[in-house]
Amino acid sequence: MTEMIASVTKLWQRIPKAVLFIVAILIQCVLLVLMVVDRVQILRDGREVTLQTQPVDPRDLLRGDYVVLRYDISQLAAGALAGKPAAERDAVVFVKIAPNANGLYEAVSVHAEPVAVTAPEVLIRGRVAYSCGSAGRTFCDRLTIKYGLESYFVPEGEGKKLEQARNQQKLRVVAAVLPSGRAAIKRLLLDGEPVYEEPLY
Amino acid sequence: MFDKTYRQRLEADLSQWEADGVIAPAAAASIRNVLPPLSPGINIAVVVGIVGGLLIAAAFLAFVAAHWTEIARLMRFAILIAGMVVAGGLGAWFAATGRTVLADLCASIGAIIFGAGIALVGQMYHLGDDFAGGMLLWSIGAFAAAMLTGSRGALTVALVAACIWTCMRIYNTPDVLHLPFVVVWLIAAGLALAWNSRVAAHLVAIAVLPWWIATSLRFDFDAAQPSFVLANGAALLFGAGLAIAAAPSPRALRLGSVLSIYGAFSLAIVAFLEVTTVDDIIRFRTGTASAQPLWAIVCGAVGVILALASAGITRRAGEILAACAIGLVLIAAPIWPASAAGEPWFAYAALLCAMLCLVVSGMLDDVRPRIVAGWLGIAGVIAGITWAVKGSLLRRSAFLAAAGIVAVAFATALNRALPRAER
Repeated sequence: MTEMIASVTKLWQRIPKAVLFIVAILIQCVLLVLMVVDRVQILRDGREVTLQTQPVDPRDLLRGDYVVLRYDISQLAAGALAGKPAAERDAVVFVKIAPNANGLYEAVSVHAEPVAVTAPEVLIRGRVAYSCGSAGRTFCDRLTIKYGLESYFVPEGEGKKLEQARNQQKLRVVAAVLPSGRAAIKRLLLDGEPVYEEPLY
Repeated sequence: MFDKTYRQRLEADLSQWEADGVIAPAAAASIRNVLPPLSPGINIAVVVGIVGGLLIAAAFLAFVAAHWTEIARLMRFAILIAGMVVAGGLGAWFAATGRTVLADLCASIGAIIFGAGIALVGQMYHLGDDFAGGMLLWSIGAFAAAMLTGSRGALTVALVAACIWTCMRIYNTPDVLHLPFVVVWLIAAGLALAWNSRVAAHLVAIAVLPWWIATSLRFDFDAAQPSFVLANGAALLFGAGLAIAAAPSPRALRLGSVLSIYGAFSLAIVAFLEVTTVDDIIRFRTGTASAQPLWAIVCGAVGVILALASAGITRRAGEILAACAIGLVLIAAPIWPASAAGEPWFAYAALLCAMLCLVVSGMLDDVRPRIVAGWLGIAGVIAGITWAVKGSLLRRSAFLAAAGIVAVAFATALNRALPRAER
């Protein structure tokens, strides 16, 4: 064992240090680029849905330089899922949403597994924030669901404006949703007008 | 740094012995000649350089947090990548020219800027929901840098990120043991072993503590007592450290002895915690549920077995006493509720004996940190028994007096039994 470690160490020491440093930086760059590619895929290929935001406690709104967002679809009745066992503590759920007369997407039903949808319906994936039962593995009657769209980072000092607009129900979010249900914020609408457009890069 | 202090002391001793005629000048000269040249080490300029490098790395983090929109986000991303490339390039140059400390610093700065890059991508795409996932990614990148460059600083970044990741996961899912962290920790321990580095061994030993503490405090136990679960972890760390140190390899000796020191201090702290916190858990005294989950008990038992195995290999009496110390701290848990109506005197006595064993174990094996841990444990346990605001102070006084008399009687018997040289 000791000999093997010694021979591996010897072999390792033969590799020029500069090469090892370059490989280390390359690995880190690749990881960052993979993160970017993952998000770009959602924004580029995802189907657009417009969601109505809701006011929440102002003290929780502006933490540093981001705004906390809640949506009409963040709190839903569990329907058929109520009282059923969940696969894990903060279980993944799939919410079928469809546009109303104003073009805003609203929840139709909640499912523990992906279900087939027909246009203009869209299936969005979320994670239940709080579960019921002693081990927290049962669906409650009402579900608090997070979709990964709850934080919007803004330049220094600009959070307050968005916070006020959101509290007056003037703020809407256009999200891109992939067929798998993964979503990302694409743009923000203030009084129906785009204020922040998210470029792919 | 410490080698220099030793050399200064040796030089002073050699001069003194030469002057006293204890050694011949030729012998002093040959001792001086046999010493290897002092490594350049860390001078003041390098220290200032390290501070500067860390400030630059922090500037990158603050730059991302500022969300400065005057610069396009793609440009901000490019600036961070450029920062990583420059840090890596400088690191490669320093490594090639033999300036290992600066090379290590550059790899660390690169790892921190990588973290800033993750934060920037999270900000660009509003990824605010999985902070722990970001920490895991940061840890992976920093680990890659540490493995490839041998940077202790990058290993520090990796372990800090991994600790935040595991603590957040444990907080979010308290009913599941977060075992993926063990895999990460074992990789770090493997690095410390491969590098034969004392600094890395300390980092590895420190990194396991937040995980075990978070698990003990947050894990969903029915009526479990966190300090008992902590005791099992300390037992495993101590026992495993001794067993690793017993392996026939200088690398294992270095890693194992550091782990066992942290285990000894953890055991002493846990003994103090047990005295001060266990009685507050009323439901434990009255309930029927176990005070510790089975897996935790197994960890504690394995700690004792490993310490005994180590004693068997090394034939050191101190390690047998170390195993006794671990065992006594663990035994305190089951005997605690025996006196539910009154005070847990037997448990107190077990903890006092455990700490005494720890001190004697350190003395026999000539391991000073273990002695210090034992003394701190004794002080903590006595303070806990004396000043706990519960029960009868008169009875506590009687217990302490009885324990003191037993200790003095034992000391007298030992003084008579042991040969003068061994006292």
